[in-house]
Amino acid sequence: MDNLHLKFCSILFGLFFLLSCERDDICIVSVTESPDLIVLMLDAEDLTRRKTPSNFSIRAIGSPKPLPSIFNDSLKLPLKIQENITQFEFIQNEGSENQNIDTIQINHKRFDSFINAACGYRSNFILEATPIIILNPGNNWIQGFTILKDTISDETRAHLGILH
Amino acid sequence: MRRVHIWVFCINLLGGFQLLFAQQEETTISIAEVDSLEINEKVPLSLRFGIDLYRIVLSQATDDFNGFEAVGDLRLGENFFLATEVGTIEKTKQIEQLNITTSGSYYKLGFDYNMYENWKGMNNHVTIGLRFATSSHKQLLNSYTILDRTRFWPGSDLPITAGFATGERANLNAQWLEIAVGFKVELLKNIYMGLSLRLNRLLSDKIPENLDNVYIPGFNKKTEDNKFGAGFNYTLTYNIPFTSKRN
Repeated sequence: MDNLHLKFCSILFGLFFLLSCERDDICIVSVTESPDLIVLMLDAEDLTRRKTPSNFSIRAIGSPKPLPSIFNDSLKLPLKIQENITQFEFIQNEGSENQNIDTIQINHKRFDSFINAACGYRSNFILEATPIIILNPGNNWIQGFTILKDTISDETRAHLGILH
Repeated sequence: MRRVHIWVFCINLLGGFQLLFAQQEETTISIAEVDSLEINEKVPLSLRFGIDLYRIVLSQATDDFNGFEAVGDLRLGENFFLATEVGTIEKTKQIEQLNITTSGSYYKLGFDYNMYENWKGMNNHVTIGLRFATSSHKQLLNSYTILDRTRFWPGSDLPITAGFATGERANLNAQWLEIAVGFKVELLKNIYMGLSLRLNRLLSDKIPENLDNVYIPGFNKKTEDNKFGAGFNYTLTYNIPFTSKRN
């Protein structure tokens, strides 16, 4: 009788150890990370029309890394987490005689939303009332801005339009 | 044979029914009479209390854990115990991107059933039991880093230690069930050493704002989309046999 009980118990203990194997916290790659700012380059005369500037390029101020996107009429710009401002140089006619660099500053607020224990938090942004200022006034090729969506919590829609 | 004796003992307890079954049980009753001395020695009601050694040792050995658990059980029958555990825990845990301190208390109430048949004079238990448990706790998010796989801007991997989502989430609670499998061995007269393993099934928990219950005192680690947890204790208990029932 005791033998049977012992067997029963060892099976139970064994089962228990199997069940109690702790699952690891792994953040799967498919979980979307902090969204980038989606910018559309719009025609200043017709806001419904997208227009790619000629020989267009962008440099991020404060990062040695190149921007991970192709420069056309739709841009994906990463915003800073540690600061409330992010600065870029928008360059028109790069390398040519009439090269024109407009340095712009994007003002944003950040709020973080919880994903899960493994992935932690995702940063979302809200554009300030004056979302963009041009830091080098005079002779600007950028003519204005328009907010398309002030809350940056996903990358499904454009958030900001730049008119030129 | 012993099993038969126990049954006879139970049947005897039924008193009035004994008369009804007297005819059929005649032979076994005569055995019970021979065995009556052993029945008299049984002490069904006793109180046992003690502490969990594992949590004490862990509190001394590590900086990020501070806990204590008191355990107790009341023997209600030959093999049946009303059991309880009460504890308090403060634990700091680094989970991937998060650093969280959970502190709170818990209590568990339920029963243990002894499946082990002792030899005469021995008093050891192999038990299986069930507990209902509840915790009252709070979580403090000390720091975290933002999920950012490209890390375009320098410093984006630095932990955020103030503001934003950091801070305390108070008034949290959780309820769960535990299946407890364990044994207790009588080392000295009335002093027991015990080990029990627990499989926990979360029933409900109050989710903190913009965070999750990554650790629940008493339940231990809670993983995402998973209602199960596990735990154990290693106890030293003292038994007070305060009532001796004689038939």
